[in-house]
Amino acid sequence: MREYGDLRDGAVGAIGRLTEAGKDIIVMVADSTSTAKIGAFMKAYPDRVVNVGIAEQNMVGMAAGLALGGHTVFTANAAPFLVGRANEQVKNDICYSATNVKMLGLNAGVAYGPLASTHHAIDDISVMSGFGTVQIFAPCDEVETAQVIEYAASIDGPVYIRLDNAKFPIVHDAQYRFKPGRPDVLIEGKGVVVIALGSVVGEALEACEALKSEDGIDPTLINLSSLRPLDHDALAAIIERHDAVVTVEEHSLHGGIGATVAVLLARRRLSKSLDMLGISEGEFAHYGTRKGIRKHYRIDAAGIAQTVRALYTK
Amino acid sequence: MENPYRLSGESLHRRAQEIRKKICVMNSAAKSGHTGGDMSEADILAALYFHVLRYEVKADGLVSWLDQFILSKGHGVGGLYACFAELGWLPERELLTYLKDDSRLPGHPVRQKLPNWVTVNTGGLGHGFPIAAGLAMAKQRHAGSTGDSVGRVFVLTGDGELEEGSNWEAAMSAAHFELSNLVVIVDRNRLQLADFTHNIMDLEPLDDKFKAFGFEVHEVNGNEVDKIWKLIESLDHENRKPKVIIANTIKGRGVSFMENVPAWHHKFPDEDQLKQALRELEDA
Repeated sequence: MREYGDLRDGAVGAIGRLTEAGKDIIVMVADSTSTAKIGAFMKAYPDRVVNVGIAEQNMVGMAAGLALGGHTVFTANAAPFLVGRANEQVKNDICYSATNVKMLGLNAGVAYGPLASTHHAIDDISVMSGFGTVQIFAPCDEVETAQVIEYAASIDGPVYIRLDNAKFPIVHDAQYRFKPGRPDVLIEGKGVVVIALGSVVGEALEACEALKSEDGIDPTLINLSSLRPLDHDALAAIIERHDAVVTVEEHSLHGGIGATVAVLLARRRLSKSLDMLGISEGEFAHYGTRKGIRKHYRIDAAGIAQTVRALYTK
Repeated sequence: MENPYRLSGESLHRRAQEIRKKICVMNSAAKSGHTGGDMSEADILAALYFHVLRYEVKADGLVSWLDQFILSKGHGVGGLYACFAELGWLPERELLTYLKDDSRLPGHPVRQKLPNWVTVNTGGLGHGFPIAAGLAMAKQRHAGSTGDSVGRVFVLTGDGELEEGSNWEAAMSAAHFELSNLVVIVDRNRLQLADFTHNIMDLEPLDDKFKAFGFEVHEVNGNEVDKIWKLIESLDHENRKPKVIIANTIKGRGVSFMENVPAWHHKFPDEDQLKQALRELEDA
């Protein structure tokens, strides 16, 4: 039986441990204390949480100022409002000014399913990738999230971390060591390589397990949690050993991991078939239950398995 | 820590005029620059760097800051570079590289180019105020945990810039978090890119707006150096209120044909105009 965990518990737990160990951390929220699930940390360190109210631009600007004043600052609010509302502050005050701020993009993708597109963030990876300096990560489970947070706090400079409010299967054990840049191989298989982003790694894992038991197909599965830095040589080397690639992301196909892999294939002159699963380019995502949305875009386990199966029946 | 100069009177005024002369030379050589806004802020910069700000220049040229300055009106960077040259930090001839390829002096301040004289990269408007609020909070926290003196943060905004909503988010926060060590200086030259501010978006009553947001509000003639530092020295930093100084200035101040002429927002002096400008600035 697989265990499930909340990425936010991984994040807030790690922030708490770092603070306890003496790291001078401030967490900034924009009325988003419940979104960030930060209650326990607030209780332990009330003076280390700064709530600016519903004012994302000011949250990001003040975060940059606090970082200039020597603090390690985490911002914790919903990804759509961070990336959208505070876009220019993220760009100038954090990324361009290279301030020591770690941005948590909470409830990214279509986590807010039925609340519709104002609340979806299907462009966060794309937008952040357009900015210089910032490192970009999308951990897939609670264990990895904690390690990404620890890494982010250990470096001086901007980091974006894509997070979620759902419980995701824990795919890493205690021995796992997150390494920035490294494509994390969860299943070593053959023929097809499935490359998945953060929140849908669990769906991809379920698909791979079903393919193996029901169809005798044994795809390789990569959790692409480190988007910048990314070891392109390592990723290309894995892809080269396979015939086909399937990318899966709860993100627009514009500027997501599918696009990253497509560029890699073109630049390296790798002739592989590529199926990109995600939110169609030029569309706002459908709204509804997250399950329904994932089914629609074939980024659920069934859709991913179907896509891989089709590669064998062509 | 004190300001290393503490200048006043004529010697401080001369510094402001020298900053203006450098602005004219620099913008003339670059055939670009925001001359009007550079000139309006020159007295404020002179008062800050040559009297108010508490800092220490180390042997390696790096500066240890107790107080810090943020130029929110990043397009007024010509004034800041001229001020750095007047301080002897930048070689005067380097000002001639302003806006050129591979220069350390781009059209908005870049901290990676001039560490650690530039606090943060500005240029988009409405950014400096929130950053300054965060930095002021950090300075209060630092003083609270170490017992050191509380550093002050001065942020210079344009007046047209206050049309950006982010400033008012920061204003709400500054009062709520009792950032009494934050001093917002508004370069109230009454002109923005397109026209006079009152024709584009009336800011008045600006003092009442800030009062309503919980600020202690002061007004000053922003082109009189002594009035500026005297006002700043009179501020009460124990009263838990952030401060705003509405510095009434004249855009293009110091050169007769530039003063209050909207076109000089983004115009540079040609050869003849430069000669006349330098003459006028020398004599005044």
